[in-house]
Amino acid sequence: MILRRSFIAALVPGLLVAGFYGRVMAFPVDGDQTTLPAKTELNEDALDKPREVFRSDIAGGKSYLVNLGNLAFSSPGILGGVARQAGLSCGTCHVNGAGNAKFFVPKMSTRPGNFDTTGPLFNPKADNFVLDPVRIPSLRGARYLAPYGQDGRMASLRDFVRNVVVNEFAGPEPAPVILDAIVAYIQDIDFLNNPSLGPGGRLIGKISESERRGEALFMKPFPHDPNLSCAGCHVPSGAFVDHQQHDVGSGGLFKTPTLRNADFNAPYFHDGRFDSYDQVVAHFDRVFDLGLSAQDRQDLVAYLTAVGDGTQPYEREGAGASMKEINDFTTVLATAIPAGDKDIVALAVDTIGNELRELTEDYPDRKNTSVSGGEQQRVLARTALKELVLTLRRIDMAVADGRTTDAAADYRNYRYLMAAAVPALLASAEPWSLFNPAVHDSHYAALRQVMQSRHMSH
Amino acid sequence: MRTASAAPLDVAAEDYRPYMIDGIGQALAGARELRERAAAGDLKGAKKAWISARSGWERSEVFTAGFVPELDAQIDAWPNADSGFHAIEAELFGAGLTDVDGDAKALVGHLDSLHDRLRDIPLTPQGILDGTVRLAYEVGESKADGGESRISGTSLDDMRNNVAGIDFAYHTIFAPALRTADARLAGAVDARIEQLRAIVAAPDLQHVDVSALRRASEELVITLQGASDKLGLRRSTLEAASQ
Repeated sequence: MILRRSFIAALVPGLLVAGFYGRVMAFPVDGDQTTLPAKTELNEDALDKPREVFRSDIAGGKSYLVNLGNLAFSSPGILGGVARQAGLSCGTCHVNGAGNAKFFVPKMSTRPGNFDTTGPLFNPKADNFVLDPVRIPSLRGARYLAPYGQDGRMASLRDFVRNVVVNEFAGPEPAPVILDAIVAYIQDIDFLNNPSLGPGGRLIGKISESERRGEALFMKPFPHDPNLSCAGCHVPSGAFVDHQQHDVGSGGLFKTPTLRNADFNAPYFHDGRFDSYDQVVAHFDRVFDLGLSAQDRQDLVAYLTAVGDGTQPYEREGAGASMKEINDFTTVLATAIPAGDKDIVALAVDTIGNELRELTEDYPDRKNTSVSGGEQQRVLARTALKELVLTLRRIDMAVADGRTTDAAADYRNYRYLMAAAVPALLASAEPWSLFNPAVHDSHYAALRQVMQSRHMSH
Repeated sequence: MRTASAAPLDVAAEDYRPYMIDGIGQALAGARELRERAAAGDLKGAKKAWISARSGWERSEVFTAGFVPELDAQIDAWPNADSGFHAIEAELFGAGLTDVDGDAKALVGHLDSLHDRLRDIPLTPQGILDGTVRLAYEVGESKADGGESRISGTSLDDMRNNVAGIDFAYHTIFAPALRTADARLAGAVDARIEQLRAIVAAPDLQHVDVSALRRASEELVITLQGASDKLGLRRSTLEAASQ
């Protein structure tokens, strides 16, 4: 995306707490010419991205509808106004279907990982004049997690998606097929596998004593209300949810969040007020007067950590991962071109072209003197990616003119280039690309140095 | 439809030379002025001169992208502003300081050296078409982060000057021949340039329609690539070969 754009840091001392953000390097939006407010953090420069697992990959491959949904989910074009201008898409907040714990917009967020969906920035008409941000949720396993919204106000995922697009982000009314596709995509995102979870959601395998004790505590009725227990709402056999809303002393009725893969879903609670399981357990202990000992709390945290785990939660960003996603998107054209579907072709060309333009910038040009070496390889990689962008645009122009045969020929050429030639050129240039951590850090250090000047005189 | 011969294009390419000399001349004069203003501690004057120098440079990018791309690393390095326009921009507009003499001296030196070569540098239609195509593609890049001249807030000016440079190069050198060879294609180029001009006429960078800009940029590149055959030229590549 783009907005894997080069967002830049003004590192005001103390603004960024390295340990909290996980990395010292962070590049919020800065300057007075940006579409989003200065200090907005999108974390699009991260080298490690959440790993996305699809149900249909196990079942033999993703359908046209799932790929179209993934495409639309990654397209700023389905949103409106400021979001579209800024190059934001659904995928900016829900990175590969997981939450974006670093997403932060001044005056719209009270902390990284939450966001006021009824604030003035993206759709002034939806502004409720209250700063009431909600946590950006992971969408893993969403098909098991109805109702939707932090307050569980919508039973239908389709209705919820439409509301996000039209009301929260001021997008035009989506075509029914686009809504169906986004829903199909979201419902295809699986939980990461957790080998420690057995049938019925019980811990299995090599389990520590602390985790065992935590599991028992989790099942145990609350001392002052035997009708309640942790497991009463977070039902282990039901993806650790009960599909209900509850008041747990956080300021209203909110739906039970899943605990599956929750190790990677911080911050916690509807507004993201807690950073850790320790804080969550302490809250329940206090509100429900559970009388937990320090050991009990540790045991519950150990249990939650075991339940919330997942296999390989992150993967290193690289040309290969980008190309795989782009190739998935491109399959949409195989159906849309013969059908002469101008709208879908235009959406695909805009979205994929955007991704390719962003990928191009991962191979610095000759103006970028923070990178040395591999100039020829970088030139070839950039040229190849730009040619792909233009090939896609030719497809769009041809379909718009009703020349589907020309479009099909260009599509075959595009697929041919993407099969071997372009991946080989990108692999050749990778050592001098931003996918190399040393080059990445050098590039962003240069950006930071430039932008620091903005704050020297203030 | 006919294919234009290269000879009239060679003649027409010479008509680009005064524009190029004027643009680089403006950049050089601006750089000299900013050096003087900065040395005098006149921040406001130095900023004004920087903007003027930048304007001349940006409208000459058709030429620089097509003929002297290696100068980008010396004059227009980005993002590491160790030298060139953006080093000076960071000091003047970012830090509010006029301590730029070293960088300004180097910038004047590079521009002066380039300016000296302009009267004799061979101007080929192919080189100018290459530069036009590359710049047309670059104009379509996202500026959501504020663009390259984000510290001075002049990225939109850069884009307008780029489009002006594209417009001048195309209409001075290629348009007459293309109208003869393929009037419909010439009309398509005209329309895309006009689209770009309208898009960058937005009041500020935040109001530039980014998706329309990208579309118009790519369509212009494709149309110009299609025109290259008709003009008897090679299809332009999108990056200059490494030296």
